[in-house]
Amino acid sequence: MPGHRTKGFCASAVALALCAVLAGCGGSGESVGGGKVALRYTWWGNPDRAERTEQAVALFEKRHPNVRVQTSFSGYDAYKQKLAVQATGGDAPDVMQLDYRQIDQYASGGVLLDLAKQKSVLHTSEIDPGLLATGRVDGTQYAVPQGRGTETVVYDVRAWKKAGVPLPRQGWTWDDWAAAVRALAKRTGKPGATDPGQNEDSFEVWLRGRGKALYTKDGGLGFTADDLARWWTFTDRLRREGAVSPAEQTTQLDGSVENTPLGRGKAIADTNWDAPSSGYLAIIPTGIALAPMPAGENGTPGQYFKPSMFLGVSANTGHAKESAQLVDFLLNDRDAAEILGASRGIAVNETIREQTASQLKDFDKTVADFQSSLEGTLKDPPQAPPSGDNALQSTFQRDYDQVSYERMSPHEAAENYVTEAKAELRS
Amino acid sequence: MTTTDIPAPPARPKRAAPAPKRRTKREREGAAWVFLSPWVLGASVLTLLPMVVSLYLSFTDYNLFDPPRWVGLRNYTQMFTEDPRYWRSVMTTLTYVVVAVPLQVALALVVALALKSMKRGKGFYRSAFYAPSLLGASMSIALVWRAVFNDGGTVDNLLGTGGWVNKPGWALLSVALLTVWQFGAPMVIFLAGLQQIPAELYEAAAVDGAGKWRQFVSVTVPMLSPVLFFNLVLQTIQAFQVFTPAFAVSAGKGGPADSTLVYTMYLYDRGFVASHMGYASAMAWVLLLVIGAVTAVLFRTSRSWVFYASEGDR
Repeated sequence: MPGHRTKGFCASAVALALCAVLAGCGGSGESVGGGKVALRYTWWGNPDRAERTEQAVALFEKRHPNVRVQTSFSGYDAYKQKLAVQATGGDAPDVMQLDYRQIDQYASGGVLLDLAKQKSVLHTSEIDPGLLATGRVDGTQYAVPQGRGTETVVYDVRAWKKAGVPLPRQGWTWDDWAAAVRALAKRTGKPGATDPGQNEDSFEVWLRGRGKALYTKDGGLGFTADDLARWWTFTDRLRREGAVSPAEQTTQLDGSVENTPLGRGKAIADTNWDAPSSGYLAIIPTGIALAPMPAGENGTPGQYFKPSMFLGVSANTGHAKESAQLVDFLLNDRDAAEILGASRGIAVNETIREQTASQLKDFDKTVADFQSSLEGTLKDPPQAPPSGDNALQSTFQRDYDQVSYERMSPHEAAENYVTEAKAELRS
Repeated sequence: MTTTDIPAPPARPKRAAPAPKRRTKREREGAAWVFLSPWVLGASVLTLLPMVVSLYLSFTDYNLFDPPRWVGLRNYTQMFTEDPRYWRSVMTTLTYVVVAVPLQVALALVVALALKSMKRGKGFYRSAFYAPSLLGASMSIALVWRAVFNDGGTVDNLLGTGGWVNKPGWALLSVALLTVWQFGAPMVIFLAGLQQIPAELYEAAAVDGAGKWRQFVSVTVPMLSPVLFFNLVLQTIQAFQVFTPAFAVSAGKGGPADSTLVYTMYLYDRGFVASHMGYASAMAWVLLLVIGAVTAVLFRTSRSWVFYASEGDR
């Protein structure tokens, strides 16, 4: 019998070898047929953002017929891991979307191009200098912020109103929030909100409301195990009462709106970033609304305007100029701005922001209105998180898993986290 | 899952045309090296070199971005003395090996026995049972698996169990089931082994009044023991290195509450999520040594229960 297979086997072996050879040609910075320049551009986001980004990219390709842009996107957790592997392998995409947490690590690791080298095509004069500075590491502009975002309590308007619970209001505190989710759970039979205990961002808001910060100025840990234990005790109690989502739901969070309890129809509200919440509209067509994050007991606001999503160019790109042109287009082109709307937060180019403000519609307008309602009430953002924070975000979720599955007490888990965090920040 | 090479039958001796000139030994060796070169090149550049580098990295602190920094044995001491998650991952892996391997080997044997006694449609069923082994290694099946065992998934709907993949006590079992389901490779090897057992042994046993069970225990098991041993060793080695099912079924997190954080998942987490490549390399080397040790132990015990027919002849 084996004798009959030999021919087929050889043919498939040859085919396999050919595939390997062909695949090997598809690397970064290669030119494609007809002298075209091929760029790779990757981001994370929801399908709404993807659709608009594709449209903007198509327009860019029309304006620059010699450039072809290959795009790819995924949810944040998956994106973070994939980019880390690509970046360390020297195969980072030509143009990549970056989070505030990644800038420090990627810049000091030599992954990112110094954008000043391309200032002839990449203009940044119309971006607020303070905001622009958030993309600088040691005085070098490695990335440009694409927008600013802030956290929000996003909720299913109809379900909340039907429950007859007073709507969230400006300046509500964590106690008010807890009372609201308890009431929602009682009247609807569903948890009022996603358990925010696993969310490092929510913890930061809570912590800032108490006048503390995640990290100190020199990149050390800005809080104690007691602080964290208090937060986790607070959320864990709500979970035991059924006021926030159970562990089985919470553990499925992966950065996409679809896998949140709100997105799965298992809760009334969620804590999320404002712009990505547009993804909920596809799931909850009856309408969602954005409310401010709860403040500290004395009214200290914890949330802040964070430079959301930076654009950076790979230091290894073979097409620095074209990459910079794409970045410039996404930031400064009026048509691109109209297509992109607020899918990555409100535009950073001030002229464009003013020009397009009146044209924003649907959810873009919701986000813009939400941000302007907070204007002037928030405290300054913290400086860029230290390198280790990138990994700590996952550690935070994991350690809270131990709490919500009742395998550790909030105190034990908090001690664990602080130990791990200190080791991570030291190395 | 790696495919298993089934040794090809010895080539039929052909009467070669008389060679015009006898080649020297050196010439023949040269030709051998030319034919071997693709393999030698691949093995040295793609396997040996990375292994040497990883051994070096295991003694360093390396975050992928900055150059490696020599730290001596610190990664190893940290692993053994200061890292509770490391030990949790070890326990998880051992649990997994102890559950998945016997289940898989037993299932493979049972199906192989059933197939052997089949009169018709053997080829069809053999292919059908082998199919999961071809599909199972793929990411898509693992993702389907997650959906099947998630809340609102098939199993939840049929049995009302809730989402296994979100329950710390059950998540590892759903990962193990994915492996067990891919019993095709050991099954095929068992089938081959079963066909090697001379029919006259069964006839003799039947004449002596042995029933089916007695035949199985006294003829099949001893005659099959080398194959059983082979499967056991192979599946154990693979089970220690399980990654894809755990990764996909836990959506890349090893959760819930670290319950599916098997050794290689934690290795991946340290290396690619937390960027501690030195630590991850050290973990990889410990795994290699442990697998080597476990295999050695298996070989040692095999002397007392594996029966090689050829030895009996002597």
